[in-house]
Amino acid sequence: MTERSADIGGSGYTLDELSDYLDRGMSPAIPAIDDNAECQAMLATLSRVAGLSRELVSRDAAENPTIDEGWLAGLLSAVGREVRAGRDIPFSSSDPTTRLTITEGAVRELVRAAGDSVDGVLVGTVAIDGDVTQPGAEVAVAVTISIVPRRSARELAEAVRERVRSELLKHTELAVGAIDVTVADVHLLPSDEPAPGAVTGDGTTTGPAPRDEEEQR
Amino acid sequence: MTTLGTASDELLAGRAADGDTAAFAVLARRHGPYLRAFAIRLTGSSADADDAVQEALISAWRALPGLADRSKVRSWLLSIVSRKATDRIRARRPSDELDEELPDSDDSNSPEERAVAQSRLDALARVLASLPEGQRQCWLLKEVGGYSYEEIAEELGLTVAVVRGRLARARVTVIREMEEWR
Repeated sequence: MTERSADIGGSGYTLDELSDYLDRGMSPAIPAIDDNAECQAMLATLSRVAGLSRELVSRDAAENPTIDEGWLAGLLSAVGREVRAGRDIPFSSSDPTTRLTITEGAVRELVRAAGDSVDGVLVGTVAIDGDVTQPGAEVAVAVTISIVPRRSARELAEAVRERVRSELLKHTELAVGAIDVTVADVHLLPSDEPAPGAVTGDGTTTGPAPRDEEEQR
Repeated sequence: MTTLGTASDELLAGRAADGDTAAFAVLARRHGPYLRAFAIRLTGSSADADDAVQEALISAWRALPGLADRSKVRSWLLSIVSRKATDRIRARRPSDELDEELPDSDDSNSPEERAVAQSRLDALARVLASLPEGQRQCWLLKEVGGYSYEEIAEELGLTVAVVRGRLARARVTVIREMEEWR
């Protein structure tokens, strides 16, 4: 079953060669193909059936949009067993025989929750730079955030910076130096969404109860 | 409901990389149906598809901290699903043909109700279902998964020449059968 397909429209190129040409983004250009009407029609057909194949999978997905909750619970419990603890951050203790630590993962979560608690903000990544394992060593915190449109990026970033600093001071003994906040993204509030209920809460961590983003300062 | 549901893939992937399982759950909900649909077309079995997607997402959770371009999380997830699904296919005995579970053209809608676009997709679904399993897998990995010949060969444990041959035959069939559905 390896017969060569005939060349298309007298161009000297076979169907498979046309497909390769399409895969290469039709570059570098081959005039014998580009100037041949039959080749052009075949290229159009090839990209049409490729597009339809992707569309078919999208349609399958649209027809079966529901996630089996049992399946998802299984997935999340497997994932939850693989905690990303990161480094151990020491805590001073009045009892010299005890060594207290908080994990880097827990500190990240703290920072995330602090940032999320600012109206109109979702925290993306949290990086803690510096030798956190060394008590007293200064650490820098870098946070990326997403904000809702029509709010001042500068004000929101400043609010996040303050909230993160105060939470870290309250709950850790880290010597917090710079807190870098980068606005990396924009998101809508759930109420702005055309199709609510598409994504639901999921009960694990984080997430402030979404307050009205009215003018409460 | 938290606002996480409206966050971008990139943000969610960043949070998940940091260890936020809630963000990961939103990603799983958002992309699960597409990944599952792809895996069903690929394996021909919804049970295999469910297992493959779950395994893929667990691997993805582990690999997320190293993911370079977080905005491309869906295609990245699709590539992991492809791998897990093809592992399952390879583990089968060659005689196992599981075509009977493929979602087919015949849903409850009557032909009159369907738009031409729907019929066209139904026609393609029929053509793909009629292809030998190996050809169909190569076709889907290339056209939906975006894989190169070399990558498909590696995934399926075949030589590039075999992949090339299968795709050539699949292409002839698909084009011939879809001729009337322009």
